[in-house]
Amino acid sequence: MLNRLTLALPGADWRRDACQDAPRRPAGLAAREDAGDAELMAWAGAGDRAAFDILVERHAERVLRLALRVLGDAAEAEDVAQDAFLRAWQAAPRFDPGRARFTTWLHRIVLNLAIDHARRRGRLPPAGLDAAKDLPDPAKGPEARLSEAEGREALVAALDALPPRQRAAIALAYEEGLSGAAAAEALSVSERALEGLLRRARQMLRARLDPGGKR
Amino acid sequence: MRLGSFARRLDAWGPALEQWPERERRAAKALLATSAEARALHGRARALDRALRDGLPQPDAAAVARLRSGVARRIARAPLPAPPTFLQRLTDALSPAVPAGCGALVAMASCALWLALAPPGAPAGDPLAPLQALPFTAEPL
Repeated sequence: MLNRLTLALPGADWRRDACQDAPRRPAGLAAREDAGDAELMAWAGAGDRAAFDILVERHAERVLRLALRVLGDAAEAEDVAQDAFLRAWQAAPRFDPGRARFTTWLHRIVLNLAIDHARRRGRLPPAGLDAAKDLPDPAKGPEARLSEAEGREALVAALDALPPRQRAAIALAYEEGLSGAAAAEALSVSERALEGLLRRARQMLRARLDPGGKR
Repeated sequence: MRLGSFARRLDAWGPALEQWPERERRAAKALLATSAEARALHGRARALDRALRDGLPQPDAAAVARLRSGVARRIARAPLPAPPTFLQRLTDALSPAVPAGCGALVAMASCALWLALAPPGAPAGDPLAPLQALPFTAEPL
């Protein structure tokens, strides 16, 4: 009876097929936590929500940081990061570890979403320019704190003036443990093109932050 | 290494010379040892690098926790991911060949254009005619 009921549900056939093709799911949470990203994605593709939750646990911080650095606004970055994970969940059965690492694939999703979002927003200043205002070190004196806060505000304004792809290149360049090749792949460009984006971004930042400089 | 190429590399690769390729690193160090202008450029690049390291926005722990719980809530409500259709599988399989395919199409279009613009009815001529101009063709072997 239960079997007949399951088969009557829309989409039940593919779920049965997917489960037959998918690797055997682990029995407990500990086994999932020990698994690699590609393995977790294979289970997620077969409908294992717990496996996907572990991927979210592992990568949420970096995904949010990348979105925040492209968008400059904390609330928008959270929305975009959530959408990126939801898209990754929906596309899990199509993920092919032979073509890209999971992190590269996920970074590409979040960066594409964030860049599109920033372009749609256009020239409007981000609502959360205050994202970096409260960062100065409280151990320093008031003058040093003021100068530091002004420096941060100037940096945020200069970053906001960059085109979204250049902001994305800067965001990737300052991610610990991310190689140039992986960063270029996440932006779907060659390493040479990434270097070009970084060069233009740094020139523009320096021109805004250090107008008296020679270059 | 000249000052201009040092400046371009500083912008592309950043001021941490230990991350540069070996050959360029040695050339950059030699330039830095002799040029005050190069040292000034390097100093400005390091200042920008420091400002970016310290000043790029960081998500706070509460935002990360909110993101994790928000995604978990949405995934719990979302339908199971749909398997790829035949068309999607085909598109995925063919996508690596897209650049080569575009190149082939451009080459075919160029050939078609060239054939279309070639003067109609031009005499074919003797295909071996260029050989007649060579000095040894008149002499017996």
